[in-house]
Amino acid sequence: MNRRTKNKRAIGRQLSVLAALFAVSGAASAGIYNDGKVLATGGVSMTDGAGGGGITPWATITGYETRDGINGDIHYTYVHLPSYDLNSGGVAVGLWDRVELSYTNDSLPTGSTYDTVGLATTTVNTALGGLGVSALDTGIEPFNTTVRMNVFGAKVRVFGEAIYDSDNLIPQVAVGAFYKVNSNKALLKTLGADKSKDFEIYASVTKIFFPISTLINLTGRYTSANQTGLVGFGGPDGNHRTFRFEGSIAYLLNKGTAIGAEYAMHKNNLDGALNLKVAGLNLDTTNNPVLAGALSTLTGPTLSQKESDWRDAFIAFFPSKNLSITMAYAMLGNIVLTPHQDGYYISLQASF
Amino acid sequence: MKISRLMFAGLASLCIAAPALAAETTETAPIPQEGVGTETYPGIPSDTIEKLGGPAGIKIIVDDLFYYILDDNRINQLFISHGKVERQKALNTELVQLVLGGHKQYEGASMSAAHGDLGITLTQFNAVVEDAYLAFEKARVPYSVANQIIAGLAPFERDIVTR
Repeated sequence: MNRRTKNKRAIGRQLSVLAALFAVSGAASAGIYNDGKVLATGGVSMTDGAGGGGITPWATITGYETRDGINGDIHYTYVHLPSYDLNSGGVAVGLWDRVELSYTNDSLPTGSTYDTVGLATTTVNTALGGLGVSALDTGIEPFNTTVRMNVFGAKVRVFGEAIYDSDNLIPQVAVGAFYKVNSNKALLKTLGADKSKDFEIYASVTKIFFPISTLINLTGRYTSANQTGLVGFGGPDGNHRTFRFEGSIAYLLNKGTAIGAEYAMHKNNLDGALNLKVAGLNLDTTNNPVLAGALSTLTGPTLSQKESDWRDAFIAFFPSKNLSITMAYAMLGNIVLTPHQDGYYISLQASF
Repeated sequence: MKISRLMFAGLASLCIAAPALAAETTETAPIPQEGVGTETYPGIPSDTIEKLGGPAGIKIIVDDLFYYILDDNRINQLFISHGKVERQKALNTELVQLVLGGHKQYEGASMSAAHGDLGITLTQFNAVVEDAYLAFEKARVPYSVANQIIAGLAPFERDIVTR
């Protein structure tokens, strides 16, 4: 993709964000603007852009609107991992506490991790070029490879009242979907993913247990994503979606502070080989020991793409209905070639 | 291990929820009988009234609640136009004791009879809840204890909010 198309896309994206903001401010003048939810009960923004916790969508609808109006928010999340940085920025609107629409852009600068792989393949390329063989297209630049993904989300609250139905066990239930478009096709092919864009659907149940000041959310997500889609969807065996369990628990310390933990099950679609295509031949690292050897010399002994479940422990502050600050320690485990990707997470959400 | 147990509780609640769904829409929250309290999940501890300073302490909290409500420009007109603020305070004091399992006669009408034709919105109901948390803070009620009162009163939302 050339730079001009990229710029056009970026401008289009910014325009759509502006349009969403105007929709909210337009609503304010039309009298359907609403910020009637009790502090903190709108939740925060997850890295896929939906309202919820940090990595799991909840059955709550984002924003501070009640059924009497509409509200929206923007968020920026930064996760600092040993080999990567995840940036997630997006906008979401909640309509009558019934429907939620969200857009988020995730970008993952891979830093030194892929620089090494990029250098290795560039070296191999140069050697192959010398032999008159067409070059490998790995999608990995020698430096500064950045994974980018656009996530479009929608959620509908089906039934239930998460907050006030303290005298029964009926939770609030919502169903939602994400459409994720990863723009690094060549890189995903190299890493063995089957698809670069795909949808996910999920159902979430959320309930606040007031006598113990505790919120519990359970989510089942039907997906084939590798690392939420940042490493594409499916693997060498194809694109097989399965239901994966996710859960969040939050304890309210006071009306503006929550602490908790989250878990999201991931799957091992890519625990095999890197696919490097040379002159149309699929030379994965299992049947190409020389290439595997060359890469593992540079990346270390383990050239594994084994994927870990995600976990985090968080504290969220709600100083006002216009701002939330979430800090977390994210334990994301193995991420493409690199183990122990655990690090700090900070997320800011501004509501309107 | 506490987390996994709570997760299990959540899963269990799902299983229980499914058959209960049909009854959900028509359910109203009855005023609890003396000494019973609102049946919540999990239950409200029996020493909550004591922690709030007994009936006298609850009266102070309700007085504080109306102090904040009458100052709250989002909802004060609703309460002022209804009038009889002292009676509203007295009834609320009785009600809080009842939902927490205290022994107290409640002399008011049912929640739906008292609020049914006022056209109260969820936004207005939530405003009262926010004022309640201010009142709890003013009376130095710990947040975890405050949520016992909220748990006891929360089911009335279905009867009070009609719009």
